[in-house]
Amino acid sequence: MDVLVQLLLNGIMLGSMYAIIAVGLTLIFGIVRVVNFAHGEFLMIGMYATYVLTTKLGWHPYVLTVPIILLLFCIGALVQRFIIEKLVNADEHIQIFATVGLSTALVNLALMIFGADLYSVPAAGTRQSVSLGGYTVLSGQLVILFCAVALVAGLHVFMQKTPLGRAIRATAQNRNAALLMGVRVDRIYIFSFGLGAACVGLASVLIVPLFPVTPNIGSYFVLTAFVVVVLGGMRSMYGAFAGAMIIGIVDSLSGYYIAPDLKEVVYFAIFILILIFKPTGLFGLGRGTE
Amino acid sequence: MASQTATAEPAAGASRLSALTHPRVYVALILLSLLLIIPAVSDSPFIVHVFVTICVFAGLSTAWNIVGGYAGQLSLGHMIFYGIGAYTTALLIQHFGLSPWIGMWAGAALSAVVAVCIGFPCFRLRGPFFALATIAFLEVIRLLAIHFHGLTGGSAGLIVPLNIGWAWMIFQDKFNYLIIAFGLLLLTLVVSWVIRNARLGYYLTAVREREDAASAAGINPTKVKLKAVIVSAALTSLIGSFHAMYTTFLEPATMFSLATSIEIAMFALIGGLGTVLGPLLGTILVVPIAEAARGWLGASANGLHGFVYGTVLVLITLTLPGGLAGTFGAAVGRWVDRLPGGKPRPEPEAPALRQIAGTPGETVLETKDLVMRFGGLVATDNVSMVLKRGEILGIIGPNGAGKTTLFNQISGFLKPTSGSIAIVSGGRHTTPASADAFARAGIGRTFQIVQPFGKLTVIENIMIGAFMRHPDVASARAVALRVSTLVGLHHVREVEARNLPIGDLKRLEVARTLATEPDILLLDEVMAGQSQTDTHKMVELIRAVRATGVTVIAIEHNMQAIMSLSDRIIVIDSGKVIAEGDPQAVVRDRRVIEAYLGEDFADAQGL
Repeated sequence: MDVLVQLLLNGIMLGSMYAIIAVGLTLIFGIVRVVNFAHGEFLMIGMYATYVLTTKLGWHPYVLTVPIILLLFCIGALVQRFIIEKLVNADEHIQIFATVGLSTALVNLALMIFGADLYSVPAAGTRQSVSLGGYTVLSGQLVILFCAVALVAGLHVFMQKTPLGRAIRATAQNRNAALLMGVRVDRIYIFSFGLGAACVGLASVLIVPLFPVTPNIGSYFVLTAFVVVVLGGMRSMYGAFAGAMIIGIVDSLSGYYIAPDLKEVVYFAIFILILIFKPTGLFGLGRGTE
Repeated sequence: MASQTATAEPAAGASRLSALTHPRVYVALILLSLLLIIPAVSDSPFIVHVFVTICVFAGLSTAWNIVGGYAGQLSLGHMIFYGIGAYTTALLIQHFGLSPWIGMWAGAALSAVVAVCIGFPCFRLRGPFFALATIAFLEVIRLLAIHFHGLTGGSAGLIVPLNIGWAWMIFQDKFNYLIIAFGLLLLTLVVSWVIRNARLGYYLTAVREREDAASAAGINPTKVKLKAVIVSAALTSLIGSFHAMYTTFLEPATMFSLATSIEIAMFALIGGLGTVLGPLLGTILVVPIAEAARGWLGASANGLHGFVYGTVLVLITLTLPGGLAGTFGAAVGRWVDRLPGGKPRPEPEAPALRQIAGTPGETVLETKDLVMRFGGLVATDNVSMVLKRGEILGIIGPNGAGKTTLFNQISGFLKPTSGSIAIVSGGRHTTPASADAFARAGIGRTFQIVQPFGKLTVIENIMIGAFMRHPDVASARAVALRVSTLVGLHHVREVEARNLPIGDLKRLEVARTLATEPDILLLDEVMAGQSQTDTHKMVELIRAVRATGVTVIAIEHNMQAIMSLSDRIIVIDSGKVIAEGDPQAVVRDRRVIEAYLGEDFADAQGL
């Protein structure tokens, strides 16, 4: 029993990390209607940027939260403005290939600059064990959980209460109708893509203390994030949050009860089954066959 | 008729042999032979290695293109089949001493089975989600290959037993590898070319462009996509088997690599998706850059080739979305055609029209109590009707009355909530199981919102319909030409359908359906958007079609046309049949006038 509770707790901690990445992916897919295959590489850029700045300046990664978020926002906005925007009317496979190509180019650029070595970022106070009623988690993980909840809550308020949030929701629901109502759809797309990338910026400063950076770190996280997004119904950030928790728990339980090297098989199998049999996601919030 | 077929067949056989004298064929073969000649002349092991790599990746990319290009199913997990081929062959050598020449076919068979198991459930997914599903399958298989290390050697890898000689496909002279790699590439190209120029190639394009219109032309979309994926997987697997013998080392990370799966797809896109030679061109363009960088710069160039691939891919999507062959192919093709032997062949004569059996006036189609509910809305409410052979039945009714929903049910696109539909032939009642089966049973339909295959020419669009009864390309083309003349599209026959105005698109709908040579023709508002003259022509056309024995049901809002055309009219309002009879009686019916013009008007007319 004790083991189960500890595993569930681990799963939630893991899930909150996936949640932040998956919420960004969902924003981009739900609003711009583009599946961003380069999302994991945005995370990689954020993590390398954090690594470089921490080692050069000697600052704690958490201090870099705002600059890294801004950096990723700009990268996302630039990708939308100079790549995705040009392909709005292109065939679907062209859009897929554009982000796939971007992803390949960025992974290999990192490989050229940093090589295949692992880089760890020392960050004081993030790897301390915290005891919660007899169960332990890392302090850094608690920060991630807090940030994931705050991110979803913050985005909820932003989307529901601000004029820009309303314009974004209108654009997501019907691009042409929003255009006719005078919404600058192209700017909304640039902002939303930036926002989705900015979520990854937040994720990178939080993940850096716990995971070493490699050029392939992006695909490691983003494949899981895709599973989460599909599970959550593609369009809904609340679905993505819930999906992330489920995958975190599945990861933690199957790693212990089945085999550590098969935990990914378990959630990829769930992913395939959901795509095939319930493409609207677990909660029926989206449409995978659209 | 019999004598016609007898003379047509030897001619077709001769044209297949004479294909070699066509400049497109001999120019391609000459250029391909450079893949053998250049390394043979250079005599450098490194050059030979580069050309083996080109042949292998061009082969993989060409095989991928059958699914990713022709069928439009963007697989990013194609290394599954490469890995299966490699492991099957290597394990059969290791455990049973079986020659790779036999093992590679076992691998291909296994790959084909796996391809069906993956393809069948995934084909309903669209675009990016299909791609994601194939990535997930690839990851699962890679992780399983690592997990079952007793069989595969796991992450540590597996070394192919080094028995040298042709029987074991392992050589000291690298040039022998090139001969096999070139042979496999040639095999893949020939298969790809044959598919592209056969009915299957047209069907795959049709399904890629518009699945509904393809079904209406009698195509079973799942079946054609499965055929494509089986062929593609088997070819990929054969190449994988060979490549394992070349590298002699197998590990899950490279055998089931996502990065390589993406590379295969990107070569095809760079060269031109859905073209025969595109994948080869793309490979020739980018692989030498990568291999040269690896050869000259060594480990310091780590990542350089991937960076180049990715950048080229993004640039191609932004500037040449058709790829090299898609953008320049047509112009180069025209230039090559000017070489000796490039004369167009005479068009073959169209086979005789299919004779429609049965006596006029007998029942051909019967519906009983058709109910179709969409949530709370009842779109058709107990519609029962009988269609007599050889008649023209008009269906009228206000917008939203349920006319098109009725059509969708009697052509198999919607399954009625309750009630039955039966095609009556020789006293037997049958109900086909799917839309394409309805088409093959002789019910041809047009779509109210036109569904052209935009990237195919007008004649190719019509051929998609003609293929249903004429599997051979030449006959289908001849039938399509005849139909194009009949409906008045002959002058635009080589125009891509997406460039046609709406009037021509409506006629194209009719043409594609007529080319299936239906017993029963369902026309959904084919006169909407037509000029006065065109409407007259359409009326004449429908009469001419009926004169050949075809039974017609037409939904129409053009009252003048439908009244003069129909033998009988059915009026539908709010999903119910409210009147039925000859045109004159129907227009005077009080319920009909109410439905169209309201109760007040009916009162004012004193009805």
